[in-house]
This record gives sequence, structure tokens and C-alpha cells, in this order.
Amino acid sequence: MSDTDIVKKQEAGKIALLLSYVFLFLCSVGLFITATAIPASRFEKLGAGAFPKLIFAIMALVAAIAFIGTIREIPRSAYANFIAESVAWAKRCYLVFVCLGALTVYLLLIPVLGFSIASLLFLFGLQVALMPRTAKSIALAAVIAVVFSFGLNWVFAEVFTVFLPRGVL
Amino acid sequence: MADFLTGAAQIFTVATLIYMLCGSIAGIVAAAIPGFTVTMAIVLTLPLTFTMEPLQGIAVMLAVYVGGYTGGLISAALLGIPGTPSSVATTFDAFPMARNGEPGRALSIGVWASFFGTVLSTVVLIFAAPPLALFAVRLGPWEYFSLIVFALTIVASLVGTSAMRGMLAGLIGLAISTVGTDPIMGRPRFDYGIEMLQAGLPFLVVLIGIFAISQLVSEVENADNVRSGNALVTGAIDFQTWKVMKEVLMRPVNLIRSAIIGVLIGALPGAGGSIANLVAYDQAKRSSKNPESFGAGSPDGIIASESGNSATAGGGLIPLIGLGIPGSAVDAILMASLMVHGISVGPRLILDHADLVYGMFIAMVVASLMMLIVSVCSMRLFLRVTEIPKWLIVPVVMTCCVVGTFALNNRVTDLYLLIFIGIAGYVLRALGYSLAPLVLGVILGPIAETNLRRALMTDEDPTLFLTRPISLIFLIAAVVSIIWAVRSHLKARKSTERLSDAPTS
Repeated sequence: MSDTDIVKKQEAGKIALLLSYVFLFLCSVGLFITATAIPASRFEKLGAGAFPKLIFAIMALVAAIAFIGTIREIPRSAYANFIAESVAWAKRCYLVFVCLGALTVYLLLIPVLGFSIASLLFLFGLQVALMPRTAKSIALAAVIAVVFSFGLNWVFAEVFTVFLPRGVL
Repeated sequence: MADFLTGAAQIFTVATLIYMLCGSIAGIVAAAIPGFTVTMAIVLTLPLTFTMEPLQGIAVMLAVYVGGYTGGLISAALLGIPGTPSSVATTFDAFPMARNGEPGRALSIGVWASFFGTVLSTVVLIFAAPPLALFAVRLGPWEYFSLIVFALTIVASLVGTSAMRGMLAGLIGLAISTVGTDPIMGRPRFDYGIEMLQAGLPFLVVLIGIFAISQLVSEVENADNVRSGNALVTGAIDFQTWKVMKEVLMRPVNLIRSAIIGVLIGALPGAGGSIANLVAYDQAKRSSKNPESFGAGSPDGIIASESGNSATAGGGLIPLIGLGIPGSAVDAILMASLMVHGISVGPRLILDHADLVYGMFIAMVVASLMMLIVSVCSMRLFLRVTEIPKWLIVPVVMTCCVVGTFALNNRVTDLYLLIFIGIAGYVLRALGYSLAPLVLGVILGPIAETNLRRALMTDEDPTLFLTRPISLIFLIAAVVSIIWAVRSHLKARKSTERLSDAPTS
């Protein structure tokens, strides 16, 4: 990777940070306003909204200072490359999205299919997606999927008397 | 002396020792699973002790307790995921050390530090239980609030490379702790009518999402590395038992200081191992001659965190035995177990059931010895984790995280929270935010708010925070802590600038 590419990557990282400061600033301002609507109690000097207001006010201030500090470090030309750099990062880290997507689907399926079946599908599917595919590794993945889905469910039910979701099907 | 011998005779029976051994193994295994806390392991053990003699039952639960504090170390060192909240600081150095090719040494240092931490805390427990218990009970909400303010200044030394992002992470943690019903009046806050937010964001779900999910997902960033079948950690599977024992004992100041911090924090009701490990780590870093080595695999960091969290086991028993006040959830379960057997816990416990109290002291020492033996014998097995390829371990640990999250409250909605928090955690990690201050904020937020409001409800005069001597000492310590941290940051920045300005030869 050339020096120019590294600089471009660093600048894109700074823009991403800048966006995170903007996001945190907007959230803290919004939540500060929400906190002002929490009614005070006549039994105490500070109401339920006082502590959150303090936290969100400090957060907005720190986010604003961080924003001002970072924006000065980014050259104007960097903004033009931001989208291209973000897409390149997403392509490089595509397995991150595979993992998070699989986990989301798995968690949504647990109440429907039950822990055992949903875990079996998740474990086998994600292992196959991540592994170097050989007959041996696929067989191992299948065994692991059965042990950590039906096996784990059995251990929790029989040994710990903790019952994992059974699903509606 | 007769009571001591009676207690010892009850502990040193074959049946009790076997039960304790099983308890120790169960504690280590349970705490090694992310999301499974020491408290949960003890709750699951409680019904099994009903048929036992009172001291036998307590001894088994103490074995689970001591084993559990060590178990959290395993996933912290090998996976970078704190198995329990009390091993958050252990991940800072144990994981980098394991990644640098020394997973056996990282585990071994942690186990020995845990052992010495527990033994030291038991010694303190035996000699200082009554005076420390009396001190702890005299602290009011003013002192607690000031203590939390001091603890929050620890954020300054956990901020990582950017002080601003570290502060923001700490504030995000504090903000997360405000969601749900408020701790004093029970008013709903920031739930927007969404049912899963009404009870607040459970701390353990936040911990698993922020640390475990984000860590696991970041492991698969490099597709070529994952597809090649590489393991999470590579290096020699060498436990180096005796060599590491000497290495730990060669750092007596750090060991004793961290154990004392653990005992003191453990003795305070409501605090416990989840704070002690961070405070002990912070103090070790501040007093180190090489603070820059912390976070990169420093043995001092592991020793501080592990001896600090293990020492809270003995510290927590101080108010329980001295005053009948449980200092933590685990102590409350131990108290419940005694009450099931018709023993009332309070200041008269040591007078009416001295054999039981001495038996508990002996059980603590025996439990820590058992933990050490179990750990030394089984670490080779645990170290096999390092040989498992990423493509296998990432989905399996994710499933364990899901089970741990669900088993907390038996709520499916916690699983939905997990995915939101996991994604947020990964985004923060990818952007270079330090995650430790965030967790500290979530832990300390409710304690700070409760005590601030309770103090002002008791007396509206805010100057009491400054006029009550212990409160003032904590506040002065907080100011000193901030000044120290700012000075260290400026020093570090100057040396970095000097290095970058230096001409390259």
C-alpha cells in the first residue's frame, strides 16, 4: 500500500470520527431536551431528570469540542474520497457484515424456531461461511452445531433447570 | 480455639472436600462462559446445598465463589472477552500477552495473582473484620457519592490513545445507565413506550454486547486470515507454574496493594469485584515506572486486576460476618443459605456460631487452594482453546453469549438488545473509542445517581460533601487523580512529539 493510500485511509477514518461526534452531539442535545420534560418530585431537591441532564450537557460539550478539534485536521479534498474509501473498507471487512447479519437473523428466529433449531442453523451456516471448505471441516462443523445447539439446550434444561426458548412451531 | 478446631473438623471431611472440589470446577467453568457471572453460578448451587450441613453448604458456595473469580480470567486472557464483570481489567493485558504468543504465562500469572489475592483477603478478613465492618457502615450517601466520583476519575487512565473519545465513551456508559425507571422514585426515563427499555439496559447485556460481540466480530475483519483456518491465539502452551509463581511474588507491592484495594472495595456494600479490578489496575498503572507498558501485555496489569477482584471475596464477607449486611448479591445468597438453615446473620453470629465463622475462614483458604490445584491441572485443557480455528470459535462463543444473555432474566427481549448493543460496540471499537470507560460508566452511573439524590434528600446542604471528612478525602483523591492523569497525558504527548521531531538517521 502506497503512502497516499494510507493518508487517504487515515483521512476517511477522521471523517468517520467526525460523523460520530455529530451523531453523539445531536443525540445528547435531543436526550437533554427529553430529560427536561421528566417531572420533578416535591419530595427531593433533584428530580429524576437532573442526573441525565447533567450527563447529556457534558456529553454535548465534549462532542462539540472533539468535533472542532477534528474538523481542523481534515483537508477539504478528503471529503471527496470518503464514500469510495468507506465502500472499500466495507468490501475488505465483508465477513463482519456476514457475522452481524447471521447473528441478527439467529436472534430473530429463536422465538419462532426455538433455541435448538435456530442455533443449529446459525452455527452450521456461519461456520460454513467462515471456514476453508473441506469435507473434514464441514463434518466437524456439523458435529459442533449439534453439540452446541441440542446438547447445550439439554445441559441447561437437565442440569441447571434453565429452559431456553422452545419456539412456537 | 475449640471453635476453630470444630470448624476445621467440619471442613476437612472427605465429603466436604469433594463437594468443594466440584464447586471449584463448576465456578471456574461457569465464569469462563461470557455472560455467566459468579452470582449466577452461586444461585444455581444454592438449592443443591439445602440438604447439606450449614458449614458444608457455605463451604461449597465459597468454593464456587473463589473458583468463579478465577474462571473469568480464562475467556479474558484467551478470547479478550471478560467472562465476568470482575475481569474487565484483566483483558487489558492478559489478552495482548496471549496474542504475543504467551497464553500460558498470561493464565498462570492470573491464577497465581487470584490465589494470593484470596489468601491475603482472608488474612485481612480474620484480623480486621470487626473494625472494617464498623467503618464501612458509617459511610453515608455523601461518602459513597464522593467515592464514585473518585472511581470515575479512573476513566482518565483508561482512555487509550484519545482522551476525548475515552471521555465520550465514559459519558455514553453513564447515559446508558439512565435508561429505564429512575433508581429513587421509579419514574420512567427514555423508554419511549418501548417495553424492552422500561426495565433499563441490563448491565450484563451491555457488557456482553460491548465486549464479547464486538470482539468476536472484529476477529473476522481479515477474511484471508479467517479462511486460512488460523487460531485466535497462537503460541506456546506452557503454563510455567513455578517460574510464574516467583514472577508474581517478585511484585509484592503491586500484589498487596491490589489485594487491599479489593478488600476495601469488597467491604463496601454495593461495590465489589466489578469495580475493584479497575481501581486496582488504575493504581498499579499510576504507580508503575513503565505505565506505557500497560495495555500491551504487562504482567503487573494482570496481577493488579486478578488479585484485586479475588480479594473482594474476603472483603465482601467482612460486613456480612461483622454486621449481617451483605455487600454484594453473592453475599446476599450466602446469607440466605445460612438463614435457610435457621442461622441468623448479624453481629451475634461470631458469638453464637464461632465454629461456623472460623469454618468459613478455613473454607476460604481451602477453596483458594482447590482453585489453584484445579486451575494448574486443567489449564492445559483450557489452553487448547487457543488451537481452535477462528471459524469455529467465533460462532460457538456467540452462541454461548446468547445463552448467557437469555439466562440472566429469561427474557427474549434481552436478545434483541444484545444485537443493538453488539453492533454499537463494534462501531465504537472500529472508530477507536476505548470501551473500558463505557463499562465503568454503566457500573458507576446508578450508584452515583442514587447516592447524590439520597444525600440531597437527607440534607439539602451540598456543602456536606466537603465538610464530612471521609467524603472530602475521596474528593481530594479524585482531584489528585485527575491532575496526575493530565500530567501523564501531557508527558506522553511531549515524548511522542519529541520522537516524531527527531531526525531519522
